[in-house]
Amino acid sequence: MLETGLDFDRLEKCDRCGACYDICPSCLNIDGYDPRAVIRDILDGKPERWAGSKHIWQCLECHHCLEICYQNYGFENAMTALRLYATKKGMHPQQVKRGWDMFIKTGRLGEPLLPARKKLNLPEPGKSGKDEFLKLLDLYMSRKKTR
Amino acid sequence: MKEFAIFWGCTIQARFPFLEKSIRTVMTGMNIPYRDIDGFTCCPEKSLVNNIDHGLWLATGARNISIAEKEGLDIISPCTGCASNLATVKGELTVDPGKKNKVNSLLKEIGREFKGSAGLHHLIPFFHDEVGIHRIKSRIKMGFKGMRVAVHYGCHMMRPSHALKNDDPLEPKKFDNLVRALGAESLNYSTKLLCCGQGLDRVDQHEAALQMARVKLRELKTMGADAMVLCCPSCFLQFDNNQYLMEKEGERFGIPVLYFTDMLGLAMGYTPEELGFDGHRIAIGPFLKKWQEMMERPSRSQFEEEIAKEGALV
Repeated sequence: MLETGLDFDRLEKCDRCGACYDICPSCLNIDGYDPRAVIRDILDGKPERWAGSKHIWQCLECHHCLEICYQNYGFENAMTALRLYATKKGMHPQQVKRGWDMFIKTGRLGEPLLPARKKLNLPEPGKSGKDEFLKLLDLYMSRKKTR
Repeated sequence: MKEFAIFWGCTIQARFPFLEKSIRTVMTGMNIPYRDIDGFTCCPEKSLVNNIDHGLWLATGARNISIAEKEGLDIISPCTGCASNLATVKGELTVDPGKKNKVNSLLKEIGREFKGSAGLHHLIPFFHDEVGIHRIKSRIKMGFKGMRVAVHYGCHMMRPSHALKNDDPLEPKKFDNLVRALGAESLNYSTKLLCCGQGLDRVDQHEAALQMARVKLRELKTMGADAMVLCCPSCFLQFDNNQYLMEKEGERFGIPVLYFTDMLGLAMGYTPEELGFDGHRIAIGPFLKKWQEMMERPSRSQFEEEIAKEGALV
């Protein structure tokens, strides 16, 4: 099941509303993207149907649905929940896996380009907080395990 | 004006140092006191880290903010993603003291504390609200009269509005105001608030990302926009880089993509070199050429004088 803190009462209303379809960039421009179909399966207790779907990664997290929502909710919550669910099953996209690996190894998603900086006459970049971040990550992960 | 800590984020420094050049040139030129401080990490990126571990996303963001707080500085960020992520973390911890305590019990172990006292600014609302239109206008040497520019806001400059409070989340105005202050026409167009779609490029869906870029670029090409202006490295990646990739495949849009500081810098009299224009993939030449032509065009008063001399206006 989903460990999400999703508000199922609100999702029931989402299922019948769909006001955000006219403002959601993915609903408007990506064939087959239909968040209410996802929500229906969540409500029916069948989230696994979507774990391997590319659609759950097509929510751009632009928050338009949240802003226009009559319930101040937005179906992005359902999409986030399903992405967490898919990730726990190891079914997230390769690029997400690579990004995550880089993040937990270095604390960043890329390092300053030093030769280009020199060429542009840019000053030394601020020092990375990598070491302290790794310490924080260790602490966080060990607490998470013992909880 | 008091001093700020600048939060560059990963993307600008790792991929677009020429944007950093443009931003630094303009910040210095406008006498905005800022400094780089040591110890920041990734903000962290919401669509990556938050989709995998919400708790770590909060702790990492809180640690970044706490670094500026220790120095007694507010943060200014030229990256929309960073500004939004940091503000969302701050918002979530501020309304939930239980969560804040939990995060702080972790941070304490590494000698830090998140207070929630640091102000967080995105560059656009910062220029609009803190620097002010009047002060910006006073620094303009050459305005963009006659130039038709399409503002691309970038979603996370104003959304989620419960955390950001930067502008109206569905009808933002500040970026338009700034562009108009520089003398350009800020175009109204139907896909103006459409998300750039760069997120799709980070989840193995490159074709879908290109498709999203196309929607906006097509409209701007049809309208004959002279340039697109934005203030987010992720949107920049989508419209400069991906537009270039499409051009290489024979699909031409020809829409130069300017960072806000590129435009402001030009208006202040800085050269393309001082603003790092060499790094842009889509040529800015056509924009500069038309701008030059617009500036050389006789003004209305010159024209009136001319024809009055001829006795045409009686």
